[in-house]
Order: sequence, then structure tokens, then C-alpha cells
Amino acid sequence: MEALVLSKREKRKLAGEFPDLCLTCGTCAGGCPVTGVDGIDMRKAVRMALLGLDQELVDSRFPWICTLCGRCEHGCPMNIDLMKMMRSARTHREREKVPGVLHKGVVQCLESGNNVGIPKEDYLFLLEDLGVELAEELPGFEVPVDKKGARILVTINSKEPFAEPEDMFFWWKIFYAAGESWTTTSDNWEGVNWGLFTGDDESMKEVVRRIVENYKKLECEYLLLPE
Amino acid sequence: MSIHDLMKEYIETGRIKLDKSKHPELTTYHDPCNYARKSERTFGHGYYEEPRWIVQQCVDNYVEMYPNRANNYCCGAGGGAWAMPYAEERIYYGRVKAKQIKDTEAEMLIAPCHNCRDQIMKSLRKEYDMMDVEVKYLWELVADSLVIEGVDE
Repeated sequence: MEALVLSKREKRKLAGEFPDLCLTCGTCAGGCPVTGVDGIDMRKAVRMALLGLDQELVDSRFPWICTLCGRCEHGCPMNIDLMKMMRSARTHREREKVPGVLHKGVVQCLESGNNVGIPKEDYLFLLEDLGVELAEELPGFEVPVDKKGARILVTINSKEPFAEPEDMFFWWKIFYAAGESWTTTSDNWEGVNWGLFTGDDESMKEVVRRIVENYKKLECEYLLLPE
Repeated sequence: MSIHDLMKEYIETGRIKLDKSKHPELTTYHDPCNYARKSERTFGHGYYEEPRWIVQQCVDNYVEMYPNRANNYCCGAGGGAWAMPYAEERIYYGRVKAKQIKDTEAEMLIAPCHNCRDQIMKSLRKEYDMMDVEVKYLWELVADSLVIEGVDE
């Protein structure tokens, strides 16, 4: 590796306002369960960002193995915005190099309205079918869809209709018992916003915008994202 | 509106009734990063006490993990890690959480987050030999504790 000439380094491109306040105390790395994985830890990551090794950090696996749990930031005596820095390292990763299914899910959500691409008619059929099943236990139960004026608009985690549909019963039972006025929607019902994880603010905003649009259109009082 | 505020509202106003005798097990609660520490930092309020109160409306036999609340350890699957290809690192990350859970000797763990629940229930239990710990969503615990008039009586 070549020597770094600090006075000539490019301006740091990773977001985060305060890394240069770092005292290198190691509190962040000391309290993190993945310190040392791939030879990196949060203290090193801060040094990398400061020294102009932004691209090395962006190309490393560390910003993705870090779960952005924020324990380091909570403990940092200089209150450095470590999460902003790590998430922006994810933002700078080329989209096709985002690990796993996360970015594919974001694209899928923008196209189909949910991360796993469940077609609308399948979704509505499933809700109706499950509603009938639950009504055997709870007389009169049905799943409200696009109900204007409901008190609460509820989003759904696509994992449930996709793989664990009966887990939706838990909330439905609570709503039934409480006599709640609630509704889900036939479009853009996804409650899991993977743009948060991939560092993709534009997509994240679009997914939120669609939920808010439903909320306004249906004139609901509250929005509930059971994530 | 947060799920915690809504469930608390239902319980406090008597809109739902819960039966503690359905869950006699020793129970612990996992603070998800997003509802707890990160919510405090982002929105000025961390949901630490509300879920604990809700859990304790459903069970009498309750134990804390240490450390907890703002100092809690992540389950290891946060930030989308559950959907990433780094399974080995995710499981390694979770060793700390697994030890915290085991140290409580709890028979049931409650998590109000899909990611945390999946990581603990589907991965950590198997990898760290604690299949005897039952894992439930917070709303699952509440749903399973319900006494519904005209249905259960």
C-alpha cells in the first residue's frame, strides 16, 4: 500500500459529521460482537473514513456485517454519528453489488408494491381465505381491505402472506377483541422498507410516500407498521 | 402510532382482557435496536418500558437479560442481516445474545420485531442448543393471552 499524504487526500465522501472528533478510545469496538471480523472494527472504520480510505470501507463486507444496531454510537463518549457513517458506506455500494436479496426486494417493491412480488389477486384471495378460517373461531370476523374512514391503517410484512400467513392471526385477534376499526390495503401494503437497510433513501421515501398516500386517501386516523 | 402504545391503550382502557394463567413460564424480553436505542436517538423516545409492562400483563414470572434497554445486545440479524448471505457472521454475532438468554434460564422469550424473532427462534436456538426456549412476538403473546367475551366464556 502507498503512503497516504493526508493533506492531499480527497474530502471524505462518507456521511457523518463528527468522525474527526474520534479519540480512538475503542469503546465502540470493545462493545461490538463483530469486532475483528474481516480484520475490521468500528474504530478502524472511523480511521479509514478519516484517512480517505472511504472506498476500501465501501468495498469491504464490514458495513453489511455490522447490523447498524447503534450500540457503539450509544457508548461513544464523543457522540460521533457512527450509524450515519456506516449506512452511507452502504449507500455508496453499487446497487448490483448490494449483498443478498435486499436490493432486489427494493426493486420488486417499487414495481409490485411488495418486496416479494405477491400479485394483488393472490394477496386478496389469501386474506379472504384466512378471514373465513379465523371466523370459525371468531364469529363475524373478516379482513377489512381499503375501508375508508377506518381508525387505523395497518401495513403487512410480506414475509407473512408469503411464508407464514397464519402469523397474521395474532394482530387480527387483538383487533377483533378490541373491537378496533382497522383496514389493510389492496395496493402498497408492504410494511418492510428495505431501502432503510440498503442505504437507498430515494426508494425508501417512495415506499413511505405510497403508504402515506393510502393513509390520506382512506382518511385513517393512525398508521400502524407492526414491524 | 407505535404497536406498543396501541396495545398499552387496549389494556389500560379495558378494551382487551388478558389471562396471565395461560403463560406460567419464566419469561424474558429482548429489546430490538430499532424500538429501543435507535428510536430514542432518532425520535427522542425509546420503547423500553411499554413492552415490559405489556409482557407483565401477560405473565407474572418475568426476568431481565443483562445488559438491557439502551445497552442491550443486538440479536445479530439487524440492518437486514437476516436477508444477507453472511450466515456464518450472523450466527457468530448472535453468540452474545444467545448467552444472555441462557443466563436468564427463561423458558420463553418475547421479541416485538420480525427480524429479532426470526434470528432467535429459527437460528440461535438451533445453533446454541436452546431449542427448549419458546420464542413469541409481543403481539403473539398478547393474542395468546386474550380472553374474548362470547368466545372464551
